[in-house]
Amino acid sequence: MIRPRRRRWVKLAKRVTSHVVLIIACLFAIFPIYFIVVTSFSTLPIASITAHVLVPNPSGLTTASYNYVLFHQFPSFATLLTNSLIFAGSAAAIGLALAAFTGFALSKFNFPGRRTFVYFILLISLFPGVLLVIPFYFMFSSLGLIDTYLGLIIPYSAGAVVFSGILVKNYMDSIPDDIEEAALVDGMSRTGAFFRVLVPLCYPVLGLAAFLAFIGPYTDFALAHVFITSNNLWTLALGIYNINSTDTGTQNYGLVTAFAVVMSLPIVIFYMVFQRYIIGGLTLGAVKS
Amino acid sequence: MADLRDQTLSFRLRREWPAYLYLIPTVVVLLLLNAYPIAYTIYISLTDFGTGGRGSLINYHYIGFSNYVTAFTSTSSPFWTLVGNSFFWAGGCVALFLLVGLGLASVLNQPIRGKSVYRTLILLPWAFPAFITLLVWTSMWGYEYGIINEVLNSVGIHSVNWLLSSPTAAWSALFITNVWLSFPFYTVVFLATMQAIPKDLYEAASIDGAGSFSQFRRITLPYLMPTIIFVGLMGFLFTFNNFYPIYLITNGGPGLSTQIFITQSYSEAFGAHGASPLYSLAAMYSVLDFLIIILLTVVVIWRTDLTRNWLK
Repeated sequence: MIRPRRRRWVKLAKRVTSHVVLIIACLFAIFPIYFIVVTSFSTLPIASITAHVLVPNPSGLTTASYNYVLFHQFPSFATLLTNSLIFAGSAAAIGLALAAFTGFALSKFNFPGRRTFVYFILLISLFPGVLLVIPFYFMFSSLGLIDTYLGLIIPYSAGAVVFSGILVKNYMDSIPDDIEEAALVDGMSRTGAFFRVLVPLCYPVLGLAAFLAFIGPYTDFALAHVFITSNNLWTLALGIYNINSTDTGTQNYGLVTAFAVVMSLPIVIFYMVFQRYIIGGLTLGAVKS
Repeated sequence: MADLRDQTLSFRLRREWPAYLYLIPTVVVLLLLNAYPIAYTIYISLTDFGTGGRGSLINYHYIGFSNYVTAFTSTSSPFWTLVGNSFFWAGGCVALFLLVGLGLASVLNQPIRGKSVYRTLILLPWAFPAFITLLVWTSMWGYEYGIINEVLNSVGIHSVNWLLSSPTAAWSALFITNVWLSFPFYTVVFLATMQAIPKDLYEAASIDGAGSFSQFRRITLPYLMPTIIFVGLMGFLFTFNNFYPIYLITNGGPGLSTQIFITQSYSEAFGAHGASPLYSLAAMYSVLDFLIIILLTVVVIWRTDLTRNWLK
């Protein structure tokens, strides 16, 4: 038997260890983000940094880096943002429609060839997306679409189709068939029932599908780096890569981190607001098994 | 829908044909933007595109499997290094993800003060797009001006040339960075699974005198096993082809010591050789990567019910 006195000590030791472990994990999680935010407001001579940046003097903080990133770089921030929104926005719209149709067909129909189709999209999606850049390069240059808006929007739209299609399908599976059947009894066509009954019920998963289709192109470098040559088509991802790597050794940490904050902010806010739902959507498949 | 297996094909077709209309756009997109490019890649890998001297960038020829034969047999070929590195990278990362994820989830699963604060902070890295934080991590690992060395210096440790001095240092930087990117996801998944375990099991066990370690081993672990296998295998497949961490942080260096298939393929085509890219080799590494992933996926399907859910 363990004496009560000893048991209390064990309990205390356990609680202290738990807090220590969690504090270390939190410090690890926050450190880079803290570094990014603090550095973006500091005045740093080019390519020089010391640990002092981590303990900033409030009077020494400045928004000079933001001022440069937003208003003085070339190509202008407005250009980069517009291009990123055009590419990612179009890809999200097309990707969303494709995912909704695919999910609907797979969830609510038992058509001949369904099994084959699922294996087909599974097989095809195993080819790494980054490596499609190589054949794309030859296909799109022979079509004269390198360095054009269309030349990037087309490949971007296909990026998340399989994953999002399956995501939508799983979600639709959880909607009872009775709901669709009731709409059919009321005289709707199947297409009408899809658009007017199922789609509204699927708004959450469709939002997630659109977000996933958006975030890929928004942060894509592999394809844009090869496809875009003119400055006026540059995206935010090319912009931040360029600021980070203009000759190693002359990196300006203030500019890189300010750019990182501005570029991440919309995504971070979206995550924070919809966190519960995004985690649920992405872990559903994992937890369910 | 109801089980229609006993109904005839023509009946099913009459009833289910609209599905094909809904699938037309997706099928067209997948054929043009996936199937065709994959076939094209396989074809390029069977030619001397880029490897047959200067002229081969304009005029290339079918040469059968000789790129593959050279890759498998030539002593100067990086093939076996890439196999080793790719598996080491994916296997090492997944082991760390599972370890950190399970550890933190079990700590967070007890009644502890400040739990929601801890949870929120641990989840933070997940909210940032990986490409952006990876760029910042790249500069954080810098030898002369990286913040990590500066912090080490301030506590009296000498700077480490993380990315260039040795394979061990480069791999450490990669593993730490990738754990930072991924551990929030694994922690959340395991925590969610743990919270679904019925509480009375633990109560019964503790009445029977089971300590917390044997409770973990006999209740928590068996309950988590399907999730661990599923998440671990999917994590392996994903990490095997996770391009940006290696491309941005070490770019395969020093030498070839952290190069994996996907980064090797990309740089054969768009990086290492400047004006004389070796497209056929790039295509070949893509095909080999694809084949390995197919094999691994067959294992996943065989070991888990991943596709059962999709097919039902």
